[in-house]
Amino acid sequence: MHTFSRRGLLYVAAGSSAAVALAACSSGAPPTPVGSGSASGPTNSNRQISQDAYDAVIKSGPVADASVVSASTWATKIKGQGYIKRGGTTTGAIFSLKDPTTGRISGFDAGIGDLLAHYITGGADVSKLTQVAQTSVDTRETMLQNNTVDIVVATYSITLPRAQKIAFAGPYYSSGDSIQVKADNTTIKSVTDLAGKKLVTESNSTAITAIGKYVPGNTPTLFADNDSCVAAVQQGRADAYVLDESILLGNAVKNPDLKVVGTPFTIDPYGVGVSKDDPAVKAFVNTFLQKIFDSGDWLKLWKATVGVYVEAAPSAPKIGSVPGS
Amino acid sequence: MDQIWQMLGENSSFLLNGVLTTVGLTILGFGGALVIGTIVAVFRVSPITPLRVVGTAYVEFFRNVPLLTLLILIVFGLPDIGLLFPLFWCGVLGLVLAGSAFICETVRSGINTISVGQSEAARALGMSFGTQLRLIILPQAFRTMVQPLVNNFIGILIGSSLASAVGVSDITNVTQQLNIRYAEAVVLFLLSGAVYLVFALGAGGVGSWLERLVSRSRIGSAR
Amino acid sequence: MAANTATRVLFDEPGPRGRTRILISTVVAVVLVVLLVSGAVWQFAVHGQLAAYKWQFFTYSAIVRALIVDGIGNTFLATGVAAVVAFPLGLVLALGRLSKQPALSRVSTAWIEFFRSMPMILVVYAFLLALPRFGLVLPVFWMLVVPMILVSSASTAEVFRAGIKAVDKGQWEAAQSLGMGPGLVLTHVVLPQAFRIVLPNLLTGLVSLLKDSTLGYVVSYGELMQQGKELVAYYHYMIQTYLVIALIYVLINWLLTRLASYLQVRMGTRRVAAAPVVVDLEPAQ
Repeated sequence: MHTFSRRGLLYVAAGSSAAVALAACSSGAPPTPVGSGSASGPTNSNRQISQDAYDAVIKSGPVADASVVSASTWATKIKGQGYIKRGGTTTGAIFSLKDPTTGRISGFDAGIGDLLAHYITGGADVSKLTQVAQTSVDTRETMLQNNTVDIVVATYSITLPRAQKIAFAGPYYSSGDSIQVKADNTTIKSVTDLAGKKLVTESNSTAITAIGKYVPGNTPTLFADNDSCVAAVQQGRADAYVLDESILLGNAVKNPDLKVVGTPFTIDPYGVGVSKDDPAVKAFVNTFLQKIFDSGDWLKLWKATVGVYVEAAPSAPKIGSVPGS
Repeated sequence: MDQIWQMLGENSSFLLNGVLTTVGLTILGFGGALVIGTIVAVFRVSPITPLRVVGTAYVEFFRNVPLLTLLILIVFGLPDIGLLFPLFWCGVLGLVLAGSAFICETVRSGINTISVGQSEAARALGMSFGTQLRLIILPQAFRTMVQPLVNNFIGILIGSSLASAVGVSDITNVTQQLNIRYAEAVVLFLLSGAVYLVFALGAGGVGSWLERLVSRSRIGSAR
Repeated sequence: MAANTATRVLFDEPGPRGRTRILISTVVAVVLVVLLVSGAVWQFAVHGQLAAYKWQFFTYSAIVRALIVDGIGNTFLATGVAAVVAFPLGLVLALGRLSKQPALSRVSTAWIEFFRSMPMILVVYAFLLALPRFGLVLPVFWMLVVPMILVSSASTAEVFRAGIKAVDKGQWEAAQSLGMGPGLVLTHVVLPQAFRIVLPNLLTGLVSLLKDSTLGYVVSYGELMQQGKELVAYYHYMIQTYLVIALIYVLINWLLTRLASYLQVRMGTRRVAAAPVVVDLEPAQ
């Protein structure tokens, strides 16, 4: 009984101070977020995506000529509705993360969507360029097929089975799954060291399949989001966290007690998913992507998002260079 | 079809582990909740006011907090204050805490059905509190508690599935993982659904049997 | 000493020595409780979780808006819509199960038994992960609410069934002897009484639904838990955020349970032994 009533009290005790805090509800700007994870405090690195810098990149992006838009029924429809319906997420660190206080979603994937919407509509208010519909690994293709969303930009790996159902523009980014461990870990150096280790990954990620393929027989523990996985490694529940390298690098910047080991052991070219109904749509988005690659807007977006956490700037991938794109 | 058999074959131990994890969560959760729930019930009716207050606060908190919220707090919150338990035991702990709040109320209503004369007689015979509880009150209260306890058990069985959302590899979690890997949704969901259905109906059957058993052995009515 | 039955069953009326013992036990218990509470607070403090900035966070209007307005608003919306569909559906299923037509009765019974035994999260995963493979993708709101409806309809059906059965048989006979047809008896005599009986249990069902809505966390529908997930993803105050959220749920559900007890007392009815409210670990009352 001892431990149980104790725990019950513990909630009550901590709760009363929360209630006081809520009651004293003051207004004003919320604090800037600090490093993730349990033990970290405000002393941590405060590097984070700046909404202003992000907005500036979107606003300086290219705008299509009216004739280009009117030549595409798809783009005309989007221009008419005034925004793009993007399939994605609100809790994807670095790629598509929502600021709960402003409701604004920023990140590299969010930026591709916003740049495309800006390209089509020319809208000046960045906050109104896209509406995000939540997707999961299993819903993305169908949502494109039945036109629930206009595009999917969601760390969406181009694969042949998927390309049979929908069309991929791009790739616009080349990434891969990598391995995150505690900074003091010396036993895990590459994917071959993962056999028999306790692994975690996000429950909605393709890393599950990658682990099944590269670490046969290993069944990872699944958590709902990046933060839970980070906490699991920090708290020692897991030896390693497998996910997209950029996200892991971002975690390592925010949490000095974590590091990324080796180079990605998978190749994940990310594409913009669009409906297969009208082949012109894919061509339209490819033209747009080539435009931002050439104009440097793509790199500017990378620097404002992924580049906040990762040093070496990549070069843009070649459109259509991946089977399925 | 071959594909499905291959998947089931390759992952038979993974699936079996999932089923065993669900069973383990449920049995340990129910057992723990039964013990804690009975103790809290005694707290709630004891003449010692602070114990009543603690008992009531315990029940009101854990009966009203959603299990998923509780599990997330246990898995991710407790390590922040230095309490790190293995995931499986986090699941058990959540089920015990939530389950005991409900079982406490079952036990309390059960005790309420006993007539005061029973315990007065027991006390007149010089029985201690423990003996009285063990030999006179709980066995009689148990009669009216069988069906509610079965419901508590099924509730804990079904609640155990929420542990899958915090990384416990129970049958729901295994289903989810294999579905992402093999895309055999129908088979996998039917399979795990059947696991819950069989256990729930089984528990219901055991409950009816127990109820018949205790009602047959009824000597003098409690009332 | 005005104690309730259970207390009198378990404990004797205290004599002078008994009263002394109770006094001593009370003091000991108070000391223990104080020790436990301070131990818990200490545990928070030594791990730096009481740092002011980690709690002040919840006083910012934008955070309050995200949790209270958006979070609770969406929680109520999902719960309300689910209840509006599930409760009438539950009544229909209960009548179906009690019906004399074997086919109807069997179908209703199968539905009820199936969804009473199904964990809601498994149904959610079916809508989130399995059905999309066959081309069915619901908007996230319905991905949460449809499973809530399915699961709740089964437990509510059992609540209604118990309520209908609790109406005295004599009521049927009396009404029929007055020449009322079965339909009229049901709608004008039995159901009004059954409603009175089950009303508190329906409120408990509402509490269950509200708890089930936490699975918005899984489908990413912006109810309270999902708002918590988004706050944690951005600000990383895990234990603080979920503790505050837990307390909000406890407060809302506690008020609903209070209302149920109040109605129960006011209507002077004992709650009937209803079927379990599934997922909720709810015993029959």
